[in-house]
Amino acid sequence: MAAPPPPSTPAAQADDLLKRPLYAFDIPRELLKSLVVKGSGQDIVPAVEPLEPTEDEKLEESSREPDPTSGMSCTLCGVKSKTVQEQRSHARSDVHRFNMKRKIRKEPPVSEVEFEKMIEALDESISGSESSSTEDEQSSDPLATLLRKKATLKAAEEVAEDSPRKPRTPIIWMSSPMLPESTYVGIYRALLPDSTEESEVTQILPTLQTTMTTALPTASDPHIFLCMIGGGHFAAMIVSLIPKVVKRSGVVEREAVVLTHKTFHRYTTRRKQGGSQSANDNSKGTAHSAGSSLRRYNEAALTADIRELLENWRGMLDSSSLLLIRATGTGNRKTLFGGDNPVIRSTDKRIRGFPFTTRRATQSELMRCFVEITRLKVSRIDDTVIAAPAAPTPTPSAPKAHVAKPKPSKEEALKLQHSTTLNTLLRRSKAPAIITYLNSNKLPFTYYLTPTNHHTPTLLHLAASQSHPTIVLALLTKASNGNKEPADLTVKNSAGKTAYDLAGDRATREIFRVARQELGEDKFDWESLGVGSPISRKEYDEATERDKTAKDAEEKERRDKETARLRSMPDASGSSSSTVGRGGKSLAEVLGTNAATNAREEETKGLSEEAKKRLERERRARAAEERMKRLAGK
Amino acid sequence: MAVRAQFENSNEVGVFATLTNSYALVAIGGSENFYSVFEAELADVIPVVHTTIAGTRIIGRLTAGNRKGLLLPTSTTDQELQHLRNSLPDSVKIQRIEERLSALGNVICCNDHVALVHPDIERETEELVADVLGVEVFRQTIAENVLTGSYCALSNQGGIVHPQTSIKDQDELSSLLQVPLVAGSVNRGSAVVGAGMVVNDWMAVTGLDTTATELSVIESVFRLGEGQAPSNVNSTLKDSLVESFY
Repeated sequence: MAAPPPPSTPAAQADDLLKRPLYAFDIPRELLKSLVVKGSGQDIVPAVEPLEPTEDEKLEESSREPDPTSGMSCTLCGVKSKTVQEQRSHARSDVHRFNMKRKIRKEPPVSEVEFEKMIEALDESISGSESSSTEDEQSSDPLATLLRKKATLKAAEEVAEDSPRKPRTPIIWMSSPMLPESTYVGIYRALLPDSTEESEVTQILPTLQTTMTTALPTASDPHIFLCMIGGGHFAAMIVSLIPKVVKRSGVVEREAVVLTHKTFHRYTTRRKQGGSQSANDNSKGTAHSAGSSLRRYNEAALTADIRELLENWRGMLDSSSLLLIRATGTGNRKTLFGGDNPVIRSTDKRIRGFPFTTRRATQSELMRCFVEITRLKVSRIDDTVIAAPAAPTPTPSAPKAHVAKPKPSKEEALKLQHSTTLNTLLRRSKAPAIITYLNSNKLPFTYYLTPTNHHTPTLLHLAASQSHPTIVLALLTKASNGNKEPADLTVKNSAGKTAYDLAGDRATREIFRVARQELGEDKFDWESLGVGSPISRKEYDEATERDKTAKDAEEKERRDKETARLRSMPDASGSSSSTVGRGGKSLAEVLGTNAATNAREEETKGLSEEAKKRLERERRARAAEERMKRLAGK
Repeated sequence: MAVRAQFENSNEVGVFATLTNSYALVAIGGSENFYSVFEAELADVIPVVHTTIAGTRIIGRLTAGNRKGLLLPTSTTDQELQHLRNSLPDSVKIQRIEERLSALGNVICCNDHVALVHPDIERETEELVADVLGVEVFRQTIAENVLTGSYCALSNQGGIVHPQTSIKDQDELSSLLQVPLVAGSVNRGSAVVGAGMVVNDWMAVTGLDTTATELSVIESVFRLGEGQAPSNVNSTLKDSLVESFY
């Protein structure tokens, strides 16, 4: 288990904080102080000023000079009347009476509009659902009904407040100004004291913090108990909440301190049928097979083992701050919580379940669970994206599509087309065509391919990696003609390699040296790029020629050798070769034609179908001419 | 004019009597002293009736009435109703009301034109009040108190309300009732002005404990003395009397 060292510089703090997992019981102090529960409203600056009058305004209102008409107002409802008649009719109105009753109940008065709404809502709700006797009353006195309804509503509200029905999520998310935008850290609710409200988390968290220490762990340290039981497997562990600090190759790391642990395994479950033996016994009656009695014995033995173990751990269990227990099914629960004097009671307030999926009860699984539950979760939630569907969009599918996969825009489609064309030209090693294309489309020589390629982000990278020296040279040197910058040699791919690093063969590498000669020393930092000393084009050509002739010679030699070897092979290795011979061609001849075919294929490589056909036609014509010549010669 | 009286050593005159412009109801006590006070002032003008309501003497708190009518709670017996019918002028309508808040005197405060009633009285009662007493009915509270009848004494000339009624509320009520109002007390500082006194357009009866200052406020706001205008109270006496309450 690793944890972050104290952040060094404030600038790198946010990154440092999240670089390594955060331990729930040792959150960096600055972060801890700044944590705010997500959605608590504290982190959101109110957009609109509250409409209620401020204290000053209220004072002003009360101290205002009584004007002659002040007697004709209604302070209760905040209504000003111009005439006595108006005032009297207001005093007899339902809204005034309603407000009067609210005042007696110490509730704030409602405005006339609000009251109208209430009455309307009432009309909707009372239609036909009540008995006829009360209906009469309602029709005669909606106010009474409203008041009655309000009274029942209030009672219901009070009941609701008593029993919180709010869905409780296993993780409480918090944000902090110290964290990057829209990044939240979450803590498992299971770690917090029972019945902790979300709003209280930030107050409770500091009390849970422990201090890192290098001292030897003792049983008096705060610790938690983890236990899983199921399918005859049992694993329990008591882990100190104060981790041991170890330095591993210069990095400070935490290591969970397991105070004690124990696992048991017994054969208790019925193979292939599944379920425990006791469950089967209870449902179908006692089986009398050898296996069943084995399992029955093992179940009892496992229970005894576990109870004995817990009894031995009683002291540490009593001082545990949490009991994380996975025990599903009555049998398993009985094993843990049953017995005459159980160490753990099922009503214990410290008991928590594992708020995530757990696997078979093993020591390593317990360790994994410990790490999982004590580690602060980090999630990046883009609130703007979440809020997007809430914005007035006509179709809900539109924002979804936007989030999932953006449709290629016109611009992107164009880029894609450019890339495809350039790629084709490059494959056919058409250096002038590429230059013309780039110039005519006003594209930079440092052309980034679409879709983004990690290995070869630019055209230059691609050319170098596919060993097209002419294109590399063109991209680097032909730029000056088009009044443009040459392709940038310093661009690196995601692995940090420049185009030169990707160069596939010697010729391509050499061409960079030619470019160095032609571009001059100060265009790039050639040395750091690793490009060798500059050579002239002529030198390069000569070298390449040399290379080529050497290669050709080598190839010729190899071929001759091979042919000789085949020729020298004992003619006709029996009947099998004679069949070949009957075909009119020796194996060597076949090989030769094969070589010729290969050469032909080599020639047509990279050509379009049409060009290939034309080439083929020409070739046939030449062959026909040859034959005619030969016939004439004869 | 304003007079002081006591009913069997009780200063709460409004509990044991009802006074309107057309009749007066007086509880039957051990002596006729209390009755004599009313009779001395009113005998020649309006009938002063000895009665009980539902067998009790707290008739002022159980009944509410004005010149045009009288409201009685359901607990009023038929004999009592008949006796009242026989004693009161025919122009006075008498109505027994089925109302949960049966102390009508506590929940209704009225003069001949308007009535302030408890916010929770039933709609039927409200209608009956309007019909029988011929008044406009307003559900109101007085200084946050729902018992309008207890905390307000009202005549066609003026009214006196609970001493802690805010000026704004007084203004509002005064505008609603169209009579001048003052916040004041009776019976040496009692806030239950409605139960501590009875008043009609030319006479008020308060408890024996009522101070001279209180009495002068009452006389002035109800225009009972000669040459006494309510404005006098508002300017001079009010300050000395009720400054502690504001």
